[in-house]
Amino acid sequence: MAFTMSVYEKFRPFFIFLLLLSLSFASQASESFKVESATVKKIGNGYVLNAKIAYPLTPRVKEALSNGVPITFLQEIRLIRSIPLLGQYWQWQKTRWETTLSYQLRYHALSEQYILKALDTSYQRSFPTLTAALDALGHIESLNLPPERLSDTIVTRLQIRSRLDLHALPTPMRPGALISSKWQLSSPWSMAEWQ
Amino acid sequence: MLQKLKSGATPYYSIAFLLLVLAYLLSAATNDSSRLNDLFLIIFGLGISTLILLTILLVRSLHRLYKNFKHNQAGSRLTMRLVTLFVLLILISTSIVYSFSIHFLHRGINSWFDVEIEQALNDSLELSKTTFDIRRRTLLRQSRMMAGTLSNLSEINLNYSLRELSDLSSAEEMSVWTLDGQLVAATIQNTKVIVPDKPNEAIFRQLRKQQDYISLDPADGDRLQLRAAVQIPSKIIGEDPQVLQVLFPIDEQLSVLAKTVQEAYTDYKELNYLRKPLITIFTLTLSLIVLLTVLASIWFAIWISKRIVHPLQELADGTQSVASGNYNTHLTTTGHDEIGFLVQSFNKMTQRLTKARDATQQSHQLLEQQTNYLSTVLSSLSSGVITLNDQHQLKTSNETSGRILGINLQSYIEKPLVELGKDHHHLIEFEQLISHEITNKQSGWQQQIELLLEKRSLTLICRGTPLPDNAGWVIVFDDITALMRAQRDAAWAEVARRLAHEIKNPLTPIQLSAERLQVKYHPLLPEDQTGLLNKLTNTIIQQVEAMKDMVNDFSDYAKNSELQVRPYPIGTLINEIITLYRSNREHKIRLLSTLDNIKVELDVTRFRQVLHNLIKNAIEACEDANMPVKIDVDYQLIQQKDSAEDMLELTVRDYGPGIPDEMVNILFEPYATNKVRGTGLGLAIVKKIIDEHQGTIWVENKQPGGASIQISLPITRASL
Repeated sequence: MAFTMSVYEKFRPFFIFLLLLSLSFASQASESFKVESATVKKIGNGYVLNAKIAYPLTPRVKEALSNGVPITFLQEIRLIRSIPLLGQYWQWQKTRWETTLSYQLRYHALSEQYILKALDTSYQRSFPTLTAALDALGHIESLNLPPERLSDTIVTRLQIRSRLDLHALPTPMRPGALISSKWQLSSPWSMAEWQ
Repeated sequence: MLQKLKSGATPYYSIAFLLLVLAYLLSAATNDSSRLNDLFLIIFGLGISTLILLTILLVRSLHRLYKNFKHNQAGSRLTMRLVTLFVLLILISTSIVYSFSIHFLHRGINSWFDVEIEQALNDSLELSKTTFDIRRRTLLRQSRMMAGTLSNLSEINLNYSLRELSDLSSAEEMSVWTLDGQLVAATIQNTKVIVPDKPNEAIFRQLRKQQDYISLDPADGDRLQLRAAVQIPSKIIGEDPQVLQVLFPIDEQLSVLAKTVQEAYTDYKELNYLRKPLITIFTLTLSLIVLLTVLASIWFAIWISKRIVHPLQELADGTQSVASGNYNTHLTTTGHDEIGFLVQSFNKMTQRLTKARDATQQSHQLLEQQTNYLSTVLSSLSSGVITLNDQHQLKTSNETSGRILGINLQSYIEKPLVELGKDHHHLIEFEQLISHEITNKQSGWQQQIELLLEKRSLTLICRGTPLPDNAGWVIVFDDITALMRAQRDAAWAEVARRLAHEIKNPLTPIQLSAERLQVKYHPLLPEDQTGLLNKLTNTIIQQVEAMKDMVNDFSDYAKNSELQVRPYPIGTLINEIITLYRSNREHKIRLLSTLDNIKVELDVTRFRQVLHNLIKNAIEACEDANMPVKIDVDYQLIQQKDSAEDMLELTVRDYGPGIPDEMVNILFEPYATNKVRGTGLGLAIVKKIIDEHQGTIWVENKQPGGASIQISLPITRASL
């Protein structure tokens, strides 16, 4: 213990520097992905999710895209069961179901098209403009939700968020992207509305 | 445990190991195929922090080294020098390798890219685009024509016409959509596909602007297809406009070529784009490894320096402790190199030194024993033994020598012999004799010397023997005073006995004969002759009488009678004698002392003779010199602290002419007299009696005149 204390005393300025460094990492980029709307609709016996996510890309990401680097987008959806223990301030949450939709967006130079490919299904679509591609990416339409997990809609919540899969980037770019705020575009978890 | 971790080499080993693992992970993580991709940031962060930690530890180590160096601790200088040398070597060599590596890295990566290749790729892409452009325009035209034929057809006819057109145009898929995106009709060549490909929103948006759409579309499975979307002209006003989408396949060969061009172009572009991060990451990895190497090398330099210096330091400490007299120093052997050999030699040396010291101590002890033995022998000798060095300084003396000379000789050790003469006048002759002999003689000598001490004379026989190698002399001297006296006494006793025997015996017949002559021839001789006869015979008789007296004195002197000692008050005895002499009024004899309770063990008769002789002698001396007879008799008790005996000192002092100097030494010997009368045996008899009482007697001339005879008699305290 004495040793820890003495080391701390000795290198206090260094520790303070580390603390400041970690704080600087915590500051996020000004603009990031945003879930604009998310609704769960009951159709027949099942439930479907409709959502709209805005993908404002930073110039750095656009530059990478235009240089042929494929960018992977992740859309994470989860159903949580939250039991309030102390009002709304402290809730015990349990994930009942979750899924991640992965999309790869890349630029096809020959056709001058942006190709959006669902990595789970290998289904791909091409768009003449980036905006069109991102628009299409941001539209989640009639995504089927597992009905067995939705038996009790009062305590079950659906959360959605989107982010870039930085680990899918080419290796040389990865360290830079991981520590750069220009690549930190994750949206916070958003709650879907029940209709 | 913590202390051990803190101080030992464990943190260095663990960190070095950790860094090696990290370097491996890092190199593995830079490969795409690695599963460690997700851990990249953690690995990198951990690596950096470990490096920082290692740096801190190294800095601490170096700081400690510098502190030792500053405080001038043993071995720190050499360690510092070695470390500096190693670090310099490491830094220089690593910097060179590092800078060249960075240079080659940059050059290597940059050499992948070439302006001409880039241009060729761009051109090939452009060429491909142009190729497809022609085809696109043809197909767009074809699509418009097909759309024209489909204008205002009923749904059944539309389906039919679509199939027909599809067969004719070899289109893969044809579909009719409303502008809202509702499917109207479709025909698909591929039987596996059920739902036609819906044009995306961007296409609809373009079509709504009355612009036809044609594009090269990358389809599933890396295929290429051409997608054309045109509005179907409507002849009925107000009818919802419809859209025809046609997907044309591109023949396989072209598709493959186009794909190759696209992939090469994209790969090249991506690679070009990744050039900077690639260089950065390679530089970073290289730097990390170089830094690791440098730090590890510095650590190793410190470690190896300490390892090299440690035995040397131990050696230095060992040498110091040997220098300060601790020969039991044993160093632990470190290795089989030269230093190990040195340590072994040092250990052997200390072992030998210890043995030598032990041997010296033993011989020293032996020498001490010998010296003790010798000094015991010397001290028990009745002879005085002194040694002098070649500078004539006193080196040793035994107890007896001091006792004989009556001084403490130990205080003259290491001092020149001359000092002895300076301090003690009665030893001047002794000192001069020895100095003279040892200066002039090379071999042994023997001399007899008579010294006049304060109260007695001392006869010494001295023998000098040179020490080997001219180291000095050993002088042995014996007190032969008693021996000489005994010899003399024995000689005189023999003379007296002979005289008594040879002379006394004829004297009686001579006397008787003379008396007979007188008696017998007195009546026969004439009157005038008788006077002469009487005179002659009387002379014979008187002289014979005188001779008888003389012979009796001799026999007294020679007599060895047993002493009849008993305690007797000395004051009473003296008074008795003095009273006898007081009858003559001209004799002034005083007894000064009034102590009357002192009893002395003595033979009263013989001591009475002593007093008689002394007083008579004093009176005669005064009378012979025609001086008034004045005699003082005194006695006193002298207490001796360090002896069981006290001394009685008896003095008979006259105020006569004194004793001639030449007589002082021989006064108590027979016939040592300058008087006209007397046999010369009076004082000799006194001396003899005093000797028999274990006392001493000596004579002193007093100022302004007269002599004093002093007697010292031992008295046991019990007799007081």
